[in-house]
Order: sequence, then C-alpha cells, then structure tokens
Amino acid sequence: ETLNIQTSFNAGDFSTQYLTENWLPKISDMTEGRVEIVLTPNGSVVPAKDTPEAVAAGALDGDFTSVNYFAGQEPAYAIMGDLISGYDTPEQMLGFCKDDRGEEMMQKAADSITGGEVHVVACGPYSRESLPARTPIRTFEDLAGKKIRSPEGLAAAVFQAAGASPVSIPFSEVFGALEKGIVDAADASAYVNNDATGLNDVGPFPLYPGIHSMPSLQFTINSEIWEGLSEEDQTALRTWWYDAMFGMAAEAAKLDAELAARDAAGDKVEVIDWPQESRDKLREVARGQWEEYAKKSDLAQEALDAHIAYMTKIGLF
Amino acid sequence: MGIEIITLLIVVALLALMAVGVPLGITTLTVSLATAIMYFGPRAGYFIVSANVSEVMHKYELIAVPFFVFMANVLERSGIAKSLFDSMAIMGGRFRGSVGVQTCIVAVVLAAMSGIMGGEIVMLGLIALPQMLRLGYDKKLSIGIICAAGALATLIPPSVVLIIYGLAAQVSITKLFAASAVPGLMLALMYVTYILVRVRLNPALAPIYDIPETGLPFFQRLKYLKGVILPGILIGTVLGVIYSGVATVTEAAAIGAVGALVVAGLRKELNWVMARDAMRQTVLTVGSIIWLVLGAISLIGIYNRIGGGEFLRGVLTGLDVAPIMVIVVMMLIIMVLGTFLEWIAIIFITVPIFAPVVSDLGFDPVWFGVLFAMNIQIYYLSPPFGPACFFLKSVAPDGIELQDIFVAVLPFIALQAVGLFIVLFFPDVALWLPSMLE
Amino acid sequence: MKNLLSRYADTTDRISVFIGQGCSVLFFACIIASAAEVVMRYGFDHPTAWSTEVSMTLCATAWVMSVGYVTQRNRHISITMLELVVGPHVWRVFRLIQMLIAFGAVFVLTLALWKPAMKVLARTEYSGTAFNSVQPTIFKVLIVIGCILYLAQLVANVIRWAQRTEGDLSGGH
Ligand code: NA
Ligand code: NA
Repeated sequence: ETLNIQTSFNAGDFSTQYLTENWLPKISDMTEGRVEIVLTPNGSVVPAKDTPEAVAAGALDGDFTSVNYFAGQEPAYAIMGDLISGYDTPEQMLGFCKDDRGEEMMQKAADSITGGEVHVVACGPYSRESLPARTPIRTFEDLAGKKIRSPEGLAAAVFQAAGASPVSIPFSEVFGALEKGIVDAADASAYVNNDATGLNDVGPFPLYPGIHSMPSLQFTINSEIWEGLSEEDQTALRTWWYDAMFGMAAEAAKLDAELAARDAAGDKVEVIDWPQESRDKLREVARGQWEEYAKKSDLAQEALDAHIAYMTKIGLF
Repeated sequence: MGIEIITLLIVVALLALMAVGVPLGITTLTVSLATAIMYFGPRAGYFIVSANVSEVMHKYELIAVPFFVFMANVLERSGIAKSLFDSMAIMGGRFRGSVGVQTCIVAVVLAAMSGIMGGEIVMLGLIALPQMLRLGYDKKLSIGIICAAGALATLIPPSVVLIIYGLAAQVSITKLFAASAVPGLMLALMYVTYILVRVRLNPALAPIYDIPETGLPFFQRLKYLKGVILPGILIGTVLGVIYSGVATVTEAAAIGAVGALVVAGLRKELNWVMARDAMRQTVLTVGSIIWLVLGAISLIGIYNRIGGGEFLRGVLTGLDVAPIMVIVVMMLIIMVLGTFLEWIAIIFITVPIFAPVVSDLGFDPVWFGVLFAMNIQIYYLSPPFGPACFFLKSVAPDGIELQDIFVAVLPFIALQAVGLFIVLFFPDVALWLPSMLE
Repeated sequence: MKNLLSRYADTTDRISVFIGQGCSVLFFACIIASAAEVVMRYGFDHPTAWSTEVSMTLCATAWVMSVGYVTQRNRHISITMLELVVGPHVWRVFRLIQMLIAFGAVFVLTLALWKPAMKVLARTEYSGTAFNSVQPTIFKVLIVIGCILYLAQLVANVIRWAQRTEGDLSGGH
C-alpha cells in the first residue's frame, strides 16, 4: 500500500531531503514492501492548516505536519505544538510523546476537530529554532522594547510578557522586514534553514541555541486505512517515525552546530548564546503565559497539565 | 487511467473551455472540480477544492494589487499623469520615438517602486496609451511597449515573484534581488533599442511630437520640468519608504495610494466624485483577479494529489541530454505552462520539481531564480493566458480587443526570449552583481 | 412571467451594483488601515497587532462581495477570439454556454464550500496569530455569500440574454 502523506516541510528544506534520502526507503524494508510512503510538500494538496480534515475526508492518507497550524481550530494545539521556551531539547519533548501522554493528548485534539477519522500515530519536534536578530539581544533584559516578528499566539504573548513588541507580519515579508529594520528580530526557522535563506545575513546576531520555539509535528493516518494495516505494520510505522525523528534531531543539531561554529569564527555574524540565568527568567515568564493561554479550552488545560507533570518528572521544574 | 492521459485531458479541457469564451477563473475551477470529484468522489474532492479556495483570501501579497490600481486611477483622473507625460515629452525633444522611449524609462522607475505586475500595466495603460494613440503612434507598437515594459515590475527588484521563488526554493532573497537587477535593465534596454530601430525603419509608426515647445533649446525646455516635480516626489516617497525600511511593499503601496490623493489635493484636483470613481473603477478592474487565482490554486492542489508533480519530475530525470539542455527543457516547460496557468501556480508546480534537479546538476539556484523570473515575464505576455494583456485590456480604450493585444506583444515576447537565452548561456550577466556585493 | 423575470433581473442588477460600489469604500478603508500601520510604527514607534488582519479582512471582503458587480458589468477575464471566427449568431449561443458553465461551476463550488462554512459557524475558527481574530471564520462564510451573489447575478444575466436586454458584452460572465 502506498500512503500519500502531506508534510509541512517545503520542497527544498533540509528535513525533506533528509527524510527522502534516508528514511523513506526504510519503511518498505521494515514492512517487507507492504507499506510505502510518498511525502508531498507543504501546501501541495491542501493548505497546512487543513490537513486533519483532509485526512478525515480521505483527500490525504495522512499528514506529517507542524500542529501549530491548527491552533486556531483548537487552542490545545498551541500548547502541544510549541510550548514556547519550555523544553531544552527536542529529545525531551519526543519523550513526552513516545513514553508519556503526548500521543494521547494529540489524539484528543484530533478527535475534537474531526469526526474521529484521524489516527495519531506519533508526535514530537526535531529541532529548536534560532532567532535571527539585526541588533544584539544578549540577555533577557535586552528583549525590552525590541520589535520581534512572531505570528503565533503563544510566542507573541511570551515576547510581550518579556517586554518586547511582537509584530505580526506574513512569512513572505520576513526577509524584507528584517533587512530594512521593520523588526529587530524575526521568528523564522532552524539555524540551518536561516543560513540557507540568508536570514543570518540580514539578521547577523542570531540567538543560538534558540530561546523560544521548538515546533512539534504529528504523524497521522486515516483511521480506516490504519485499521486495515496489520498490527506488525502499525508498530513498524510508529517505530519508523520515532527513529526518523530522533535521527533527524541529531542531524539537525549537528548541522546547526557546525554552521554556528563556522559563523562564530568569522566576523560577519555574531552568534549569541544566552546565559542559563536569562533562559530561566524567560521560562518563568513563559509559564505564566502558558497558564493564561491554557484557559482557552479544557483540552488546552489538560494538555498543559500533562506537559508540566512530565517536565516535573524529568527535572525541568 | 495513467497520469499521462489525465494530464492530456486536463490540458484539452482547459483549452476547449477557454476557446468557447468561458472566463479563465471559471475554466480552471471547472476542470479542478471535475477532476477532484471524478478522482476522489464528492467528499474528498469538495474538501480539496474548498480548502484551497478559502486559502486564496489569506494571500497577503495580493492586497497590494488594488492599492497600486487605486493609486493609478487617482493619478489618471487627477491629470497628474497627463502633465507628467506631457512634461517628459517636451523634455525629451523631437527625436522619433521619444514618447515610446520615455514610457520605457517611466516603466523602469515604476518597476523600482512596485513588486507586482498589474498595477503598473494598468497605470501605464491609463496614462501612456491614450497619449501615444493621441500622438498618432502605431497601436500595436504602443500596446507592446506598455505590456512588455510594464511587466518589468517583477524582474527589477523589489519583486513578489522573486520573494515567493526564494521561499519555495530556499534561496537567499537578497541575492535574487541583486541578480535580477542587471537582466531587468538589459531587457529595458533591448525594448528601447527595438523601438528606435522600428521607428527608424518605418517612420509612420511614430510621428515626431510636433508641438512648438519641443523645438526650444534644452535650457528653455527645463521649465516644463514642473509637471514632473509632484509625481517625482510621490515616486521618491514610495521608493524611499521601501528602501529606507519604513514599510513592506504592500504598505508602501498603501502609502503611494494615500500620497496620490495628497498630490491631487495639492493640485486642487481632489474631490469626492473623483475619489469615488477611482474607487469604483478599482473594484471593477481587480474584481475578477481573485477568481483567476482561486481557480488556478485549486487546480494545482488536485493535480499534485493525483501525482502530476511526480510524473513531471520523472519525465525530467529520464532525459538523456547535457545538463544545460535539461535547464533549457525546464524553461520550455515553464513557457508552456505560462500560456495557461497563473504564476503562483507555476511556482508551486515547477519549483518543487525543478529546484532539487538544478542543484543536483551543479547549477546556481540564484541564477535559476533569475531565469525563472525572466520566464515569468514571457508568461505575463503570452496568449491565451497573458495577465499583462488582460490588465491592459481592462483599461484600454474601446476598440482595442484582446486579440489585438496578443498580436502586439509577439515581438516583445521574442525579445524576452532572446534576453532569457542570453542569461541562460552567460550566467555572469545575472551573477556578477551579487558576487560584487559579497 | 416575462415581466416577473425582468423585474428579478433589474432588482439583482441594482443589488449587485449597490454592494459592488459599497465595496469600493472597503478597499479605501483597507488602504487607510495599511498606511496607518506605517504611521503607528514609525511615527509613534508603536506597531499594531491588528493592521495586517484588518487590512486583509477588509480587502478580501471587498474582493469577494464585488463579484455581482463585476459579473453584472461583464468584467470577468475571458478569451473572445472565437467570436470573430464563428460569427455573432453562434457566439450568442456560446455566451449562453459560458453562463451555464459558470453557473454549474460556481454552484458545485458553493456545495463544496457549504460544509466548511457551516462548521466554522458552529465552532468558531481563529487565526491563531497575535491578534487572533475570527478572520478564518469570516472568510469561510464570506466566500459562500460571494458565490451566492455570483449565482444570482448569473441568473439575471441569463434572463437578459433570453430577453435580449443585455448591456455591454465586451468581457465575460
Ligand atoms: Na519591481
Ligand atoms: Na502567458
């Protein structure tokens, strides 16, 4: 069986290439040829925010999408999709999905916006975004008064609470806005992607490792198709996805670190690594905003409680 | 049914509906709905179409179009534009073809203010076309100049086409902007040369602008510069707003529209009837554009879902030719798509397929981006889906039909193709400026 | 009956023109909202969270709701090259075909858009941005209304075609 899965990655992204070259061939090995996956890029069939319903309607066999896109439909997706300034590493959040209540919460969210026709196989992030800035933001205190492009509700709230002014501009205008100083810093993507699009050229003081965003993805399959698979293949798909995400997290961290080291050695770009004290302050401010945001729905509150219980368990609080 | 047959059927259906005179937005919408329902049944098919259609309204870049159109309407109705061109014609003197050449120069200046084609064509169509026709310029030459020069808006930076390409192909937008400037000016220069050669060979095409003022010595003609001052300040403001970093291109378009009203006010030409008519004309001019975009985006979602992208990629990688010939083939494919698809759709179809192949073959994706934008210039003009021609048609005087416009732009399409092949075989034309800036 | 139909056509024309001309004011408001953002940001160093979404909502509203006006004035972009080839009598038949195809396509599109619109009316969808407006809900409902206006005006155009009382026909339907 060939599954058509739409991703929220763009065609030229590192992640698309990495998955296509290294991981797509493995799924047919693991299922002895019974299952194949075709990944189609962001927006190629439906806009990213519509993939759950597209999977429910059978227009897609599944999605592999950053769940923040669905935050407007159910606030829990913002809590699940990007707990701003929450986890330190992608592996921690992957653990929340794989070994704790992450998948369960993601399934509840999917059921709330569809008629139960979407099966959540797995979830989690693979990278932490860096924050390109055109003026140095060296500490928590430096955030005060800075104009930061941040389209997401929770990220904007956290930046606002930290004293910055969030600016809402579309992604297609980010480059120009940063270049011309319409914003001082811009939420964009991982270091490697910002390097490729030249954002580090127009924002030569990138904050790396990042301080805010770690977008989570979900891997879903249409329930009817999922139930038609053998238990063996179901297990293989889930294992495959987590293996791929852990592999991609390691690879992305390595690429980011190499590029950041290269830029730190040069004189055009100054890579800024926040002291732990600033990170802790931001996390404290952020927690207030998570709790504020979680009031938007019962499911969002449940998701946040699950997060905090897990974070306490692994020693982040 | 194989994807080859489906692709063929889609193309045949599109051409048939267009030929009967069905509006182009409805044409693509009909084909996408039919494909979706036949392939997926009503539920999934409806969903794909409705999701893509609703998404069109979220396209922020699109809203600069009515802004620039409104600005052009105000300039035209207030008489600012007419005195700008009159002054330029007197300043330009008596050489044959002067007004045509000035139109090209004005188009380049406008292109440096505007990131989208459309507003600019409309503006030139409203301002320059009646002037040229009044002066007795050949109709086809005049139309061709306006469509071709007006389309430069998306090759000379800033350019929304390059921004979207850069995002889709993950290429530096600064480099794309730097790389496209020289090819843009090169095309403008080719148009000017072409005009001068044509009118020299056939003087009947462009009567000399024979009013007494043009015969005056240059220094005495300088006083006619006053018609240029207010528009010049307006252009300077919009340019300044974009390049100083005060605003995005869309916001700069809004500033331009407000600025045009201010200028009209300073000239004591602003009144409610003029502003109201300019607004109503804007609605009628841009009203159909959203349906064009909506149909094209819907079609592309369906075509990708049924494996069209995979099919085209397979065709490309199956070619057994020299790498540069693969690029040539890609350019030919874009040209063919450009005869019937909308540019956003062309980017969404081709860039995901082409960009990885371009890098694999060892070519610079920045250079490919410039080629892409130059090809989009051809797409704007080429029939039957030639948006520049539609934009001009929407403001052209009565008696100018779409078919007249299509015939008029043919020589300019040839010039664009020559320009494209120059950059194709001499990549340095595009790449030397970004490499200088490094 | 004939009288009733022509009264329908007249009324629809008037409604379409009224809404379309009203929309022109929305475009103007959209221009002001975008320009205001620049003034707020640079004049007062105080960027707004609402400007982008308000501009887009105003602009999209004007764009979608003006469809009746555009259709009434036959300003949809189409290719009319065959008119010269087939002659006026055949072209008159083609014009009916154009309107019927447009009606069919927009009708099916309305069916496709109906369920999503009802869904957001039952459960509001937000933009998820800093401003977090109800923009997606507005858009999904708006486009259905736009389609209905388009259909209503197409019916009026068909009546005018049958009664041979059409106005300027240079464009498409
Ligand atoms: Na431009
Ligand atoms: Na074309």
